[in-house]
Amino acid sequence: MEQPYAIEMLNITKRFPGIIANDNITLQLKKGEIHALLGENGAGKSTLMSVLFGLYQPEEGIIKKDGREVSIKNPNDANELGIGMVHQHFKLVDVFTVLDNIIMGVEPTKGPFLQKDDARKKVVALSEKYGLMVDPDALVENITVGMQQRTEILKMLYRENEILIFDEPTAVLTPQEIDELMDIMRGLRAEGKSILFITHKLNEIKAVADRCSVLRKGKYIGTVDVASTSKEELSKMMVGRDVDFVVHKEPAKPGDVVLDVEGVTVASKAHKNNAVKDVSFQCRAGEIVCIAGIDGNGQSELVYGLTGIEPLAAGKIVLKGHDVTHASIRKRSTSGVSHIPEDRHKYGLVLDYSLEDNMVLQRYFEPEFVQAGFLKRKAIRAYAEKLIEQYDVRSGQGPITAARSMSGGNQQKAIVAREIDKNPELLIAVQPTRGLDVGAIEYIHSQIVAQRDAGKAVLLVSLELDEVMALSDRILVMYEGEIVGELDPKTTTVQELGLYMAGAKREGK
Amino acid sequence: MLLLIQYTLIFASVLMLVALGGCFSEHSGVINIGLEGIMVMGALGGALMMKFLPAGTSAPVMLLLVVLAAMALGLIYSLLLAVAAVNFKADQTLVGTAMNLLGTAAATVFVKAMNTAENASNVSSTIQYIDAKKAFLVNIGGFEFNWFMVLALAALVLAYVTLYKTRFGLRLCACGEHPQAADSVGINVYKMRYAGVLISGVLGGLGGVVYITAGVSEWKFENGVAGFGFLALAVMIFGQWKPTRIALAALVFGLFRALGNVYTGFDFLKALNLPSGVYNMLPYIISLVILAFTSKKSRAPKAEGVPYDKGQR
Amino acid sequence: MKQDRNAPTLLQRKGVQSLVASLLCIVIGLLIGFVVLLVINPTGAWVGIKTIVENFLYYPSGAARMKYLGSTLVKTAPLLMCSLSILFAYKVGLFNIGAAGQYVIGAGASLYFALGLGMPWYVCLLAAMAAGALLGGISGALKAYCNVNEVISCIMLNWISLYAVNMVLSTVKEVASPYTLTLSSTNPGAILPSLGLGKLFSNNQYVTIAIPLVVVMAILVWVVLEKTKFGYELKATGFNKYAARYCGMKEKRNIILTMVIAGGLAGMGAALFFLTGFEQWQCTQSSVPGMGFNGIAAAFLGGLNPIGAIFSSYFIQHITNGGAYLDKTMYSAQISDLISSLIIYLCGFVLFFKHFMDMRTAKKQERESVAAKAAEAAKAAEEVKTEEVSDDGKGGDQ
Repeated sequence: MEQPYAIEMLNITKRFPGIIANDNITLQLKKGEIHALLGENGAGKSTLMSVLFGLYQPEEGIIKKDGREVSIKNPNDANELGIGMVHQHFKLVDVFTVLDNIIMGVEPTKGPFLQKDDARKKVVALSEKYGLMVDPDALVENITVGMQQRTEILKMLYRENEILIFDEPTAVLTPQEIDELMDIMRGLRAEGKSILFITHKLNEIKAVADRCSVLRKGKYIGTVDVASTSKEELSKMMVGRDVDFVVHKEPAKPGDVVLDVEGVTVASKAHKNNAVKDVSFQCRAGEIVCIAGIDGNGQSELVYGLTGIEPLAAGKIVLKGHDVTHASIRKRSTSGVSHIPEDRHKYGLVLDYSLEDNMVLQRYFEPEFVQAGFLKRKAIRAYAEKLIEQYDVRSGQGPITAARSMSGGNQQKAIVAREIDKNPELLIAVQPTRGLDVGAIEYIHSQIVAQRDAGKAVLLVSLELDEVMALSDRILVMYEGEIVGELDPKTTTVQELGLYMAGAKREGK
Repeated sequence: MLLLIQYTLIFASVLMLVALGGCFSEHSGVINIGLEGIMVMGALGGALMMKFLPAGTSAPVMLLLVVLAAMALGLIYSLLLAVAAVNFKADQTLVGTAMNLLGTAAATVFVKAMNTAENASNVSSTIQYIDAKKAFLVNIGGFEFNWFMVLALAALVLAYVTLYKTRFGLRLCACGEHPQAADSVGINVYKMRYAGVLISGVLGGLGGVVYITAGVSEWKFENGVAGFGFLALAVMIFGQWKPTRIALAALVFGLFRALGNVYTGFDFLKALNLPSGVYNMLPYIISLVILAFTSKKSRAPKAEGVPYDKGQR
Repeated sequence: MKQDRNAPTLLQRKGVQSLVASLLCIVIGLLIGFVVLLVINPTGAWVGIKTIVENFLYYPSGAARMKYLGSTLVKTAPLLMCSLSILFAYKVGLFNIGAAGQYVIGAGASLYFALGLGMPWYVCLLAAMAAGALLGGISGALKAYCNVNEVISCIMLNWISLYAVNMVLSTVKEVASPYTLTLSSTNPGAILPSLGLGKLFSNNQYVTIAIPLVVVMAILVWVVLEKTKFGYELKATGFNKYAARYCGMKEKRNIILTMVIAGGLAGMGAALFFLTGFEQWQCTQSSVPGMGFNGIAAAFLGGLNPIGAIFSSYFIQHITNGGAYLDKTMYSAQISDLISSLIIYLCGFVLFFKHFMDMRTAKKQERESVAAKAAEAAKAAEEVKTEEVSDDGKGGDQ
């Protein structure tokens, strides 16, 4: 009798010190289906997949392949069972070729020597069959993100995997690229592959998945048929309550120009071309201007240029009528620029410092906190306690908690508190809700809108289209370092926005 | 002039061997500052073998056994780094520094103990190997050809083939660039890092014995290997972690080091009347200047120096 | 989720952990040293290790003990300065292996100013600090502007400064020996004042203000790192240079300044030693003096804390001096170097030791909290069930 399930994970429990990441979770993947695994950040999806992939060993529960119990101790075991995975952060070696990355781990050899010719033929044949065009001899560091993802898919196909796991595969793609990926996934399903599709985006589940299992805070909530379940029902299962997808805000009342950017050009660190090319725009008091675009189109560098982290190659920045083009980072900060950086661990926090020391990171040099070169510890403590109270930053030991030991949401809240409490003229927020759960996202969105309503200029950089559409008063789309369009969120659609983001459409200059 | 070429080649051989060793270690993701100590240990192994082999041993046997002894001791000693860096995730710079100090101290203690045991009045830290050393040399006219030069060349070819043409090389480099990627396709990162460090031990040990036999006199173990392990690191960086470029860099550095030994043979250099200290400093000054110009765009393995922890991903 | 709310247990306190870990390093280091002695010559091993650990206590009379305690302290002073130099840089994320070279050039500058130029001690001291600071500054600038790894540049500079100092001091050496002229015969004004401290140590003429001065310096370094705005900036740069840049600190300037200060500390250490006249410089030295490297041992053994470094420096110097009393017909004095390098090696495992202690206590707390949570979870499970949607019944449509 043929088993209906390709893979079954039954009653899996995985604990880490102080946390139960997976609590009695069951997941059954049928042969030839696309099965979505839905959950918020921190719901335990990645842990569950790591268990399946042999990266973690569960404390309880069993895994069955074709109805037979199997033991998966490491990725090799998973590979032998035909399980492959496209990781959220690609597991590719930059300085290797596409081909080398594909064959790594299962290299064809003659004695100790690599034999790449047959492998190359196989890769070319596979990429033609599934419409995955990639040059096998290109270096990974030189190809686009979309091509890198196709390399990852080829890696699985080369190993003749039957069970394919996609971990948040659409985060780095344009809406058009996402459509292509969906087509590829359907093609794989038609060839009889079983697909597990991990995501927190409901539209994509509705578009491509057959069934959907939902996790919440490490617990199994249930499995549903996608066709007969509404998005609202899915989101309620994911979050545990009704979710308001709409951000409540009044129409903007733009005031004076706060930030005036003219012809800004920033050199790139990664390649010879400029990352930001001749960008000009204005940002007024009381409005949220959003820079939309696919990751890596110069948004980060634009922000570095605006805040002074990177020097400008050309152009002019005027803040409230004062030219700050050549001003230092500190000068810009004290003249009213606040910056919520995109990478809170790299830029936003000194993780080895305590929460209170992080709270004064932008102000420690002010007379309020320093006297004759010595820090005023009492004043710092009092200030930190005030912010913690006011912005509801939760931590184990209050002001003296090590920033490293705090949850991502509370780390981000701490940064938001610090930057907003500086009472800026201009708030630059880059991906302020990345990797946070719905509660924290709602809170940070409301804080950003509150800043706008208090008459501040807000420049928001986001990769999440939902966030762009919900928060912004004006949208500027960046593509390959240029602003290719200005859109009004009230009159534009996600599809149109996607065309601009992919460079398929642009406003004439 | 012939003398200059001879010294250049032999010093370049030392630097190349050791730098290639460092190159393997770093491609696997472990910074090996301890090459200096590994060289001392290799030198000790080789010197002991030379001392204790009977005088009549034929040259090829002598060569083989000395090389094996040096490699073996280098390998064993490099385990100290492998264990600390791979299993215990220790600070690799700190451990490497400790190994340098430990190498010299341990070798000195050992040699002195051995010497005093033989003859209570002998408190020197040298090992007698002048006669045995002749096994490595072939006189061609005025040129003293050293078999170690061939060995270094062989190591270069082998290193190139291993790194770029074999499965092992591909996997090794993956561990130094992106260990998580290597792990995800079932490569055992810990094993590969052990392999990288141990290979650096073998090559470093060999380099050590070549170094002490390169000079005219017998080597004092109190002096370690006079910073050659560090020069080799500079050679490796200057060589951008690539075997062929490392070979070129080794020749350049070898030339400047050789000048210190033979500058008196050149009339125009002698006429400059510079103190010998200047020539001693020269390789270090040159390497500092070159590093200043070449480090901006470094192609160092991305994950080097970062302990790999299976739990973090 | 974390157990932060609980007060840290004894073994979780950072200070206690550092102390336990350091003691562990010392014990293991001495144990291995003992084994080495046993291997070399079993009959004298016990006496040997006792000699090393006893150091000046080897002398029977109280006066002699005091005198040689003084000598140990005289050599502890430069070691402490080197370890301060290393830990200061380490706090800013830099591994100052160049303390050795900064110490060498400090020695060169102080002795040349004293013997060659006939300057008084305070000028010589300042010259040594300046020379060390300059050398450190070079490494810092290379790191900040050219991305040269400070470890490599420091090592190169160690050798360069050794040869340079040998050359410079050859101009003020004794005719018949490779040693520099003595301070007492050439320029007594360059000898550090004793202020009567020598009398406390059975008239040990080499005991000078250097000893109280280095303790003051250790406290000063602690205050700068822990209490000042400057220290806050430096440590932030060391922990996360990107965040430091983000909030407007000048991280390049901080890197250079750190190396300048670290170099100055090591250079000062050299002056505080050579200006006592305790030792002369040997102009034919062919290896970099170990003082700077032992400083690494002292810095890490002291838990990278300036106050801890006072004690660890003394300990390292204590066993180094003790090594000199070993019976030369059996053992060489380098046994002490062996032990201290073993201790540095073991310091590499300190993080692991600490992690181990954390894990032990965390596991204990974990067991307690799991029990507490089980009750909560049971309650929550009921709530979940009510909203569960499942299609388990329809499985198997193939």
